[in-house]
Amino acid sequence: MSLKFGSLLTLVLAFFVLQSVAAGQTMPAATQWIPGDAVISLELAQPKVLLDLLAGKKASAFVKALPAYQEQASKPQFQQFLAILGYMESELGTDWRRALARLTGGGITLAICPEETVILIVDAEDEQLLKRFGEMLLEMARSEAEKKGQPGRVASTQYRDVTAWTFDGKEAHAIIGKRLVMASRPEGLKAVLELRAETWGDNLASKKDYRAAKRQLSRGGDNAVATVFADLKLLMQAPNIAGLLKQQGENPLAALAFAGIVEAMRDSNWLGLGLAIEDQTLICRASVDGETVARTSPASFALPKEPGEGALPNLIVPRRIAAFTLYRDLHQFYAAKDDLFPERTSGLIFFENMMGIFFSGRDLTNEVLAQTRPEIRFVVAEQQFDPAIGTPIVKLPAFAMILRLRDEEQFDEVFEEAWQKAIGLVNFTRGQQAMPGLIIDRPIHNDTKLTVAYFSTAEIEDKTELAQRFNIRPSLVMPGDYLVLSSTDSLARDIIDALGREIERTVKPLAQTHSLLELEGVQLASILQANRQTLVRGDMVKKGSTQEEAEAGIDLLITLAKLLESLKLSIGMHEGTTEAGLEIKLNL
Amino acid sequence: MVGQTEKPPDPRWAWAAYEPDADRPWNLAQAGHLYRRAAFGANWEQLQQALSDGPQRTIDKLLRPQAETAQFNRTYDEYEAATGSVDQLRAWWLRRMIQTPHPLQEKMTLFWHSHFATNAAAVKNARLMQQHVGLLRGQALGSFRILLKGILQDPAVLLWLGAEANRKASPNENLARTIMETFTLGPDHCTENDIRNAARAFTGWFVLRSKLRYISREHDNGEKQILGRSGNFARDDVTRIILEQPATSRRLVQRLYRWLISETAGPDEALILPLAESFATDYDVLKLVETMLRSNLFFSPAAYRRRIKSPAEFALGIVKALEGTVSTTQLANDLADLGQNLYNPPTVKGWAGGQHWINSTAILARQNLASALLRGSGPYGDKLNPWGIAQKHGCATPESAQSFLLDLFLQGSFGPDVNDALLKTRGRQDDDGGGRTRSLAHAIVTLAEFHLA
Repeated sequence: MSLKFGSLLTLVLAFFVLQSVAAGQTMPAATQWIPGDAVISLELAQPKVLLDLLAGKKASAFVKALPAYQEQASKPQFQQFLAILGYMESELGTDWRRALARLTGGGITLAICPEETVILIVDAEDEQLLKRFGEMLLEMARSEAEKKGQPGRVASTQYRDVTAWTFDGKEAHAIIGKRLVMASRPEGLKAVLELRAETWGDNLASKKDYRAAKRQLSRGGDNAVATVFADLKLLMQAPNIAGLLKQQGENPLAALAFAGIVEAMRDSNWLGLGLAIEDQTLICRASVDGETVARTSPASFALPKEPGEGALPNLIVPRRIAAFTLYRDLHQFYAAKDDLFPERTSGLIFFENMMGIFFSGRDLTNEVLAQTRPEIRFVVAEQQFDPAIGTPIVKLPAFAMILRLRDEEQFDEVFEEAWQKAIGLVNFTRGQQAMPGLIIDRPIHNDTKLTVAYFSTAEIEDKTELAQRFNIRPSLVMPGDYLVLSSTDSLARDIIDALGREIERTVKPLAQTHSLLELEGVQLASILQANRQTLVRGDMVKKGSTQEEAEAGIDLLITLAKLLESLKLSIGMHEGTTEAGLEIKLNL
Repeated sequence: MVGQTEKPPDPRWAWAAYEPDADRPWNLAQAGHLYRRAAFGANWEQLQQALSDGPQRTIDKLLRPQAETAQFNRTYDEYEAATGSVDQLRAWWLRRMIQTPHPLQEKMTLFWHSHFATNAAAVKNARLMQQHVGLLRGQALGSFRILLKGILQDPAVLLWLGAEANRKASPNENLARTIMETFTLGPDHCTENDIRNAARAFTGWFVLRSKLRYISREHDNGEKQILGRSGNFARDDVTRIILEQPATSRRLVQRLYRWLISETAGPDEALILPLAESFATDYDVLKLVETMLRSNLFFSPAAYRRRIKSPAEFALGIVKALEGTVSTTQLANDLADLGQNLYNPPTVKGWAGGQHWINSTAILARQNLASALLRGSGPYGDKLNPWGIAQKHGCATPESAQSFLLDLFLQGSFGPDVNDALLKTRGRQDDDGGGRTRSLAHAIVTLAEFHLA
């Protein structure tokens, strides 16, 4: 038993966090023993459901097939771990899965309180098993302490009729009936015992905001296996979080992308998260109590104006890795720029100067952005390379932005001119540095004219390892009232086809949704695999890994990407408040 | 080690091969000295092997390693070719310095990188910079004659010196001046007229779309007078004439003396002369380096710790000793902050080196870098583990690790004052030795002696 006891304790805690059930029958809810000033609390109400998903046969087979697992399994430390596990199983008289289920079957509650105090409450189904488990841990701790010549490390004391133990003078724990209570500091356990004796202040369960969050989460049914409550008023006082929110006001792109979200967080008292599991899909719903941005707010450019309005559904193209659709009124956004990001940075001034050149002196806000509708979409897709043209050594994904125009007949040529000026500027600058420029071509696809610019590979003999710039074939297309800026003509063609299908179906907006992100794990894994060698090499110099270590790390990343079949994150409004939904479909 | 000599050493004795005896034994200090100069430091096994092999066999291995250096370099060339940025090239070069089976080759590549200083920021082409350093590496221990010819045909050098268009009507004197005054003869051994005429001989050469091209109509076919010779000289003639000048070999031997022997004082002319004369016969760099490394002078107090480590030598000395490989992307940035930005020497004269490496700010920055490397967390992670290395080599307690680490990093015997000072270096008393040993390693590598090569 040479594995350090501290590591073992961590391991045991980690096991607990994977498991849990509804509170013991005679005990009050665990949240009644959590102090009311808890900043974040996590409740695992149905740990068996989580255990079945994360430690079930499919997941076990998946983990065991991982090269990283096999590598770890071959190490002596892993064998030591298995020996300890075997010892514990024999002491408890059951296998670890059953023991875990019975030890945590009543539920797990974890709370982070001020002064870095962490409290963990675990409700067992089997009181006898919990006692045996506690005695076994005590015995192991004593043995470890004696080995180190510090028998005093394991100590106990009586407090409020409860025997409280500590293994290192820092953590403290006690077993009360079917309930195990652990705290990272003795003060944490003391607070729990005071709440139990009802001699102390408010508990979490009686807190108004906590109850409001629970009510909001229960609107979606009581199928949540886990819930999280965060006290945003306290959380926002943390310097890191406050700094993060402040940054949003300084960066125009962040202000554009996260509009409505940051404002909602700032104005809210609490955040509630509920996790449900359906088949192999994790469904997470988040709510805050802050009201949505006021119509008069500078950030209201992200609010769908009418009840039926919202972002358009994402476009589906071949080899799609990710898609992002937003509802953002660019004209309103830029008109409010002095309020949104008051600082006139050199980058912003440069941007406006360039826009002035490209759009021949037109006013960017009123004569350019006003021509765009609020539906903005982005698509990222893996590229296929024609060997006759050449294959870059680093294979970047293609990406595109799709806008809708208010008056395409008036604006098409304005944008075409701006685009060709931009390509000309790139070519002129590259020419100054004696570098080859882009060649402009105007092919037609499905009756739509593309303006494509590309680097010629005609003079390159070895077309199998081209430079990164050959990933880019910037293209502009304007089918109907859409305006598409794509990094490649191939993706532009796929988008023309996708838009054609969309027009036929007269697609409806996602009412009141202002942001929707979708990610395809298999396609992500595919592009990671295509760049495996580059990623491995990057890892070697970035992390100082050996080639084998880097390969194992990247292969794990690819495997995890494959595990994620799809991810969908939507953010919008519901009855005056902001709501977010996250769906993660696993490919077990 | 020989006794300290006040007067300049006799050249015959100085350059004769060192043979250990009772007065000048071959010991850990000498082995460490050799690895600091001919490599980037050594690990414990290398030091022990050197003790067992003796000086000449150890030098044989450093000069002509048995390992597959060519295959190693091909693999790293491939890694570098796949990168598109100078930042990545810097990282791969540092990794090559750590991993190479032929560290002397990399050490000499670094020497030539400072000698033929070419700055990537001006070249603006990672591929050309990779080819440039590849050229330096290819002849690092080869022929200076071939290297100089290569430099004159290197697009990166021409771009850096603003000599991408050498027209008959406007010869580029900057290229000729740099070649003659900085890369070969030195400023006192050529006239303005020599430089103007050499520039005329270089006309016709252009860098077009990153490739060197010769346009004959732009070459000045008139008669030129260079260093006392007359004729219709072209580029290769200038190289030949420069290499015929005794000043060229003398200057190169002096620079190499500073790199391998000592930078505390300029060497006596009489000491340099025999090596310069020999070098001028064939410009064989390996032979010159070999003579210096095997010499009595190299293993004398006149050379021992008579150089200040560059930032790269300082950091890699820690990494090599602890048998690890760290994030070289991060290390390249940290070295740049310490004044040694690889691929970006500050001027055409390279890094001044010596005392210029050290000032109060630099010392503090070196301490911070050592701390970051040895901390076990942060950007370098736990790639370096002094306690693990000490245990690997038989140390069971932090106390025994102290003397092991002193031998590993400094190879010197120290008085009780240094040992006592180090004993006061305490990490957490309740750990298993890891924290204490990290603190101890940091205390050792920030001693003044560790900054000296």
